[in-house]
Amino acid sequence: MKKNIILKAATVAVALMMASSFLTACGSEQGAAAINDLPLDDTCVDGVAKPEKIIMMVDTFMKVENREVGGKDVVCEEYKKKTGIDLEIEMPSHNQYYEKVNLSFASGNVPNVIELGSTYYPNYSAYGALWDMTDAYESSTAPMKSIIDEQFVDALRIGDEGNKRLYGFPMARGNGTITYVRGDWMKELGISDPKNYDDFINMLEKFKTIEDCYAPLTVAGFINSESPYNQYLKEFYWDADPHFYYDDNEKKYVDGMSQPAMKDALKRLRDAYEKGLIDRQAVTNSTADCRNKFNTGHAGCFNYWAGAWNKTLEQNMSNLTKKGNEDVVKPLAPIVETQYVERPPTAMSITSKTKNPLGVYKYLIEYSHDGGEGQMLFTHGVEGENNGKEKTGHWKNENGKIVALPYFSSENLVEKVYYSPELTITEWNDPIEADHEVVNSSKIFRENSYMVPVPKTSDEMSDALPELDTVRKEVISKIVTGVTGIDDGIKEYETRAAEEIEIILNALNS
Amino acid sequence: MANTAKSGAMSDKNKTSARIIRYSPFYVMFTPVLIILILFYYLPILGLRWSLYKFNPFIPEPVYIGFENFMTLFKSARFWAAFSNTLVLSIVNLCLSMIFSVGIALLINEIGHALAKKFVQTVIYLPHFLSWVVVAGIFALILSVEGQTGGFVNTILIKLHLIDEPVYWLTEKKAWRLIWYIANRWKETGWGTIIFLAAVTGISPDLYEAAEIDGAGKLKQVWYITIPSLMETILVVFILNLAKVMNVFESVFVMYNEMVYDVSDVIQTYTYRVGLQGGANYGYSTAVGIFKSVISLILVSAANYTSGKIRGRGII
Repeated sequence: MKKNIILKAATVAVALMMASSFLTACGSEQGAAAINDLPLDDTCVDGVAKPEKIIMMVDTFMKVENREVGGKDVVCEEYKKKTGIDLEIEMPSHNQYYEKVNLSFASGNVPNVIELGSTYYPNYSAYGALWDMTDAYESSTAPMKSIIDEQFVDALRIGDEGNKRLYGFPMARGNGTITYVRGDWMKELGISDPKNYDDFINMLEKFKTIEDCYAPLTVAGFINSESPYNQYLKEFYWDADPHFYYDDNEKKYVDGMSQPAMKDALKRLRDAYEKGLIDRQAVTNSTADCRNKFNTGHAGCFNYWAGAWNKTLEQNMSNLTKKGNEDVVKPLAPIVETQYVERPPTAMSITSKTKNPLGVYKYLIEYSHDGGEGQMLFTHGVEGENNGKEKTGHWKNENGKIVALPYFSSENLVEKVYYSPELTITEWNDPIEADHEVVNSSKIFRENSYMVPVPKTSDEMSDALPELDTVRKEVISKIVTGVTGIDDGIKEYETRAAEEIEIILNALNS
Repeated sequence: MANTAKSGAMSDKNKTSARIIRYSPFYVMFTPVLIILILFYYLPILGLRWSLYKFNPFIPEPVYIGFENFMTLFKSARFWAAFSNTLVLSIVNLCLSMIFSVGIALLINEIGHALAKKFVQTVIYLPHFLSWVVVAGIFALILSVEGQTGGFVNTILIKLHLIDEPVYWLTEKKAWRLIWYIANRWKETGWGTIIFLAAVTGISPDLYEAAEIDGAGKLKQVWYITIPSLMETILVVFILNLAKVMNVFESVFVMYNEMVYDVSDVIQTYTYRVGLQGGANYGYSTAVGIFKSVISLILVSAANYTSGKIRGRGII
C-alpha cells in the first residue's frame, strides 16, 4: 500500500515536472492546439516540445495476417512528412508480443509507446511502467476531445474510486467475438437462426449429419487464456465467468469457478462434448485450426472476431470452396440466455521512461485520433498518387475516388493500417465505405454485447495467477471431456489452487 | 645458484613467448570463440543474483528477498511434478536413444551395398532437420480423431479391433509419454547413429577375423567385439547427453496440453508459463534455472564418477 502511494506520488511528480519543464523551456503558457495546423519546422509550439523520434512497439500494425513488407515504412515516411517526427515501428511476432515488451523493459531499450490488452494494462501501470496521461487528456483542447466517445476512455481509467487514472489511450473499441455458422448448411438443413439454447443444440445436432462434418462446433480450448475467459463459448457459459469478478449481490469479489452458474455451464459443455457436438480436438486446437475446419467444411459453427474477420473468413472460404458469399459465413445474434462480451479497448500507452511523454501524447495519440489527416493516415494509410499500387499508398484510385487499394504484399484490399475503421472511437467522416459483411457482423455484435471492465490486479495476483490459470484450465478440460466429474473437478481445483485463490481474493477484496 | 634459477625463469618465459608466437594463428582463431563464451556463457552468470531478488522488468529497483524465491519453488507441487517429469522423460529418452542409435548403427554397418547404405542413412537423418512444430503437426495428424475412423493410428487400431472408436491419444495420460518417446526416436535416432557408425568403422577388422576363425557367429561378434569396442563412445555420449537432460523444452511444448500436464509438464515449460507468460517473474525464473543447473551438475558428476569406477577413469 505504502509502495503504491509512493509510486503514484512519484508518477504524478514526474508527470508534473516534465509538463512544467516543457512549458518553461518553450516559454509559453498556452493550451495545446491541433498539430495539423503547426508548421513542420517548429520544435516547440504551444507549450509542447515536438519529439524528434517516437518508437512504437505494436502487435498489429497493418493486418496481422499480412505483416506486409514496405507498408509500414510508407506510413512512417508520410508521418515524418506531416509532422517532422521520425516514427519507428517495432512489430514482434504476434504470439511473442508481450514477451518482447517485457524483455524491452528488462534490457532497458524501452519503446516510447506500447499497446496493451486489458489483461496486461493494469499490471504494467501498477508497476509504474506507464506514464499517467490523465492530466494531459483532461487539459487538452485538441479537436480529438470533441469527437471522442468518452466511454472508451473511461473504460481505461483505473485505480481507487474517485481518483481513477488514465495510463493508456484507447486505440479503438475492444471488439469481441461472435458466433459464425455455415449459412449454406442451415439452408440445406432448413434451419432458422437459433433463438435459445435448445435451438442451438438442435442446430449442432443437425450439422452433425452433414457429410465430412468432423465437429459441429469447433473451438480452441474450453477457456480463453486471458480476460474475458468465457468469450469463445458464450452459448454454453451464459452468465458464468470462470475468473474472479465483483458480485453485486455479495458486494465483494468472488471466484467464478466456485459459483453455481459455473457448475451449470460445465454441465452444458460436458453434455455437448459427450454428444459429439463440440470438437473432440478442442484441447489441442489453435484458432487457425478452427478457421481451417470451418472453411473446409469440417465444422459448421465457431466463435470468432466480429467485424473485419467476417470478410476475411468469407474471402478464405471463397478461395477454398468457391462458395464465398454472405450466405455461407453467417454471423448469428446470441441466444436469449446470453450476450456477447466486448473487451475493454486495447490501450496505447506511453512508457514512463519516455523523455517527452506529453510530446508523444500530442503528436502521436491526439494526432492519430484527430478525425482528419492523422486519423486517415493511421486508419487507411497513405493517399495514393492516382494509380499503381507499387507506387502508391493505400487509398484513392485513378479516378480520384477514395477507396481501399491492395496491400503491397497481397491482392487483398487494405482493411486497416493501425486502427480498425469499424472499431473507431471517434465520430469522424470516414470516406472509405466499409464492406457490408464488416458492418453487419459489427452491428450484430454491438447490439448484443456488454463491455467487461479492465480486470483489477495487484502484485500478489500477478504472482499467483499463472499457477491458478494452469490448474483452472486443466480442471475445466478434464470435466468437459468426462475425465472427472463436475463436483470432483471443482473440488480438485479448490484444493490444488487453495493458496492462490486465497491470495487473489484477499488482494481483490482488500 | 640464484643466477641459474633466474636464467631458468628467463628461459621459461622465453619459451612461453616463443610458444605464443609460434601458435599465434591458433590463438587468433580461438578469439571469437572466447568472446562468445565470455559474452553468452560467463557474463550471464552474473544474473544469478536475481534469484535472491523480487525482480520483474518494471520494478525500478529489484527488492532483495533472500531465499524466498527458492522457498516458493520448493513449496510448489506443480514444480516438483515438473521436476519429476523432466527426469523421467529425459532419462528414459536418453536410454532409448542409446539403445536405438547403437542398434541402428550396427544394422546400417551390416549393409553391404554402398548405395543402399547411403540411401538408408539419408532417409533416417532427414527427420532431424524438421522443426519440432512440424513433427508435432505430423503426429497430431496421424493420431487425429477426426473423420469416421480418425487418423492413421486410430484407423489401424479399429481395423485390428483393438478399439471400437477413435481415441484422442494426445490427451490420454497413459499414452502421452509413449507418443513423445516415439516422436523423439523418429526424429533423432538417425542423427544419433552418426557418431556410433564412425566408431564402428574404426574397430580393427583383425578382431572380427580372429573371432570368425574361433567360430564366433555374427551375434557373438557384435556382443564380444563391437559393443565392448563401442563402450567408450557410448559412455562419452551418455555423459555428455546427461548434462542436457534438464533442458528439455521444445519437443514437450509443442506436443503437450492441459489434459496431460501431470505427465508432461517439465521444468522448462513450467518456467515459461510462470516466468515469461505470466507476470514476467524473472527472479523466480532465475531460481528455477539455478536449481536446474545444480541438478545437471550432480547428474554429470555422478555419471563421471560411475564411469571412473567402471573404466578406471572419468571423461571430464
